[in-house]
Amino acid sequence: MLAIEIKNLTRRFGEFTAVDNVSFNVPKGTIFGFLGPNGSGKTTCIRMLCGLLEPTSGTANVNGFDIIRQPEEIKRTIGYLNQAFSLYRDLTVEENLNFFGGIYGLKGQRLSQRRNEVIELVGLGNYLQRRSGQLSGGWKQRLALAAALIHEPELVFLDEPTAGIDPVARRELWDLLFDLAGQGKTLFVTTHYMDEAERCNEIAYIYLSRLMVHGTPTDLKALPEVTPTGTKRVAVASSHPAQALSLLKRQEFALDATLVEAEIHILMPMNIEDSAVVNTLHRGGMPDASVRPMEPSLEDVFVTLTRSLANK
Amino acid sequence: MKSALYGFRSIVAKEWLHIQRDSTTLVFALIVPLLQLILFGYAIDFNVKHVPAAVVNMDGSPASLNYLHQLENTQYIDIVGSLATPHQAEEALRRNTVQVAIIIPPDFAQRYNTANPPTVKVLEDGSDSQISAAASNAFLTRPNTTRPGTVDARFNVLFNPEARTQIFTIPGLVCVLLQLTTVSLTSFSLVREREQGTLEQLMVSPVGRLGLMLGKVTPYLLLGMTEMGAILFMGWLIFNVSVAGSLVMLMILAVPFVLAALSLGLFISTVAQNQAQAMQMTMLTTMPSILLSGYIVPRETLPGPLYIVSDVLPVTHFISICRGIVVRGATLPDILPHLYSLLVITLILITASTLRFQKSVG
Repeated sequence: MLAIEIKNLTRRFGEFTAVDNVSFNVPKGTIFGFLGPNGSGKTTCIRMLCGLLEPTSGTANVNGFDIIRQPEEIKRTIGYLNQAFSLYRDLTVEENLNFFGGIYGLKGQRLSQRRNEVIELVGLGNYLQRRSGQLSGGWKQRLALAAALIHEPELVFLDEPTAGIDPVARRELWDLLFDLAGQGKTLFVTTHYMDEAERCNEIAYIYLSRLMVHGTPTDLKALPEVTPTGTKRVAVASSHPAQALSLLKRQEFALDATLVEAEIHILMPMNIEDSAVVNTLHRGGMPDASVRPMEPSLEDVFVTLTRSLANK
Repeated sequence: MKSALYGFRSIVAKEWLHIQRDSTTLVFALIVPLLQLILFGYAIDFNVKHVPAAVVNMDGSPASLNYLHQLENTQYIDIVGSLATPHQAEEALRRNTVQVAIIIPPDFAQRYNTANPPTVKVLEDGSDSQISAAASNAFLTRPNTTRPGTVDARFNVLFNPEARTQIFTIPGLVCVLLQLTTVSLTSFSLVREREQGTLEQLMVSPVGRLGLMLGKVTPYLLLGMTEMGAILFMGWLIFNVSVAGSLVMLMILAVPFVLAALSLGLFISTVAQNQAQAMQMTMLTTMPSILLSGYIVPRETLPGPLYIVSDVLPVTHFISICRGIVVRGATLPDILPHLYSLLVITLILITASTLRFQKSVG
């Protein structure tokens, strides 16, 4: 079963093509990561999927409804969580939930039942009478999530839901998302955080208005473009990682080098021995260096793909 | 239609909460216009009184003195001196020592009670039309003597014999203040949603655009009507301006006007990107409403193109309706032409702003 089915979706604004012939499917019950640099066309794509914007060409089905002919049906069956807190700051938590329940047609006992369910889900019970503008960032996003879920949508769009909230709140929000996915909801998430991307079941990466890759994180790491033929990825451990990085970056064999925690991740030609790296560091006065082979991270995937496309 | 109106009740309830939360809106909506009423009501007083006048009394009879005394009792003129000849009177006017000169003919007493009344010459300083108008008022409002055909039978004042300015200004002021309040309230309300990003949240929900628009307008319509009642009450309390005609009819006819103003506010909110812009645009609509509506400047004095502009302003027609009902006790047939114009303009405004609104939020 598919929650979203996108076929050759294109949107132009005058001369500018914001979304260019994008096609992919989102299976039901998945956490789907929609990634790409700022301005790559993510928001335009989401606006079309929510029925806010008509495509210039191509089609898409959301929850089985056509985005051009049935936008109102789509709106009833999706939830939407914006990156900026977009609830009413002067209204209390409870009033906000009542309002958003109301505009989705919930009333009376059904409304209070659903309200209590989402309050329990996100744990807002102690803040019902608090003005939403006075909540901290993490609690605001929980409230926004509760509001986006009050009408029991099958599919929830989350546009950078964790931008600007602290790590604990971020983790807790993701725990909530896992719960929801466990209940069979489909979550369509955009993010710039690579650790969040790693948590997704599937990922689509959009760059310069085009879909570049789509697959599971494991699929993407195994892509030949990410580790081109004749190259390998190694992790170098050293007690002076910053010094080691600056030294290695100057070496011809280091096609790409970056620091992750205490390790330097290097993309280098297959025919260069690992010992060559160790020797380089020895000569640079870092005798404790060691090298191990590694898988590319998702960050490596996107950086490599983006650079190779930018160079073309 | 049902789908377009979807969410209407929720929006009304939400707007009502916003109004309750934001007490400055309430103060702005209800109290500030009342303060403006008091300020403008006192400040805009076109009545000039106690204009200094000189007398050339060539008769000197008790009848002529009595006549002068009556003129002075109107308070529009003060007789500050007497002169010997009409020539001296002209000189005094030219020197600006007095602004009015009254010349009583030698046969005043003789002709006072007859069918051939005396001709009293009045010289007025025309350099300030308001002053000469005030001086004329002295002759208009001199208490009628029991005998007919005495001096000035040409004037015939039907309404407002005391020529109180407030009777004319307050009904106009009611309209202008009502427009200012309602336009700014609605324009702010939607722009705030845009600024805070909540508009986007609403647009991904099944809320109908008509439901959103009417839901936003309805609470402010109620506020606007309350405001209208409050202003009329204060006008009566402070300036003793009572409604000569039907108050109920006036309130009912205010509904299309307030709707027109709210639509204008909605239109502004679709153009303005932030609240500061909304404020400036509101001021932009206020200026012609004050200057061209007949509220201050008589419409008859407007040059052709401006007269046409004045004709399409809803406030122009509502001022005519309001003055008609408040001052002259006009009934429905009397004001029908203005009512038709107002309804047509309101309908056009609502349609235009709804279309524009749908485009801008979509």
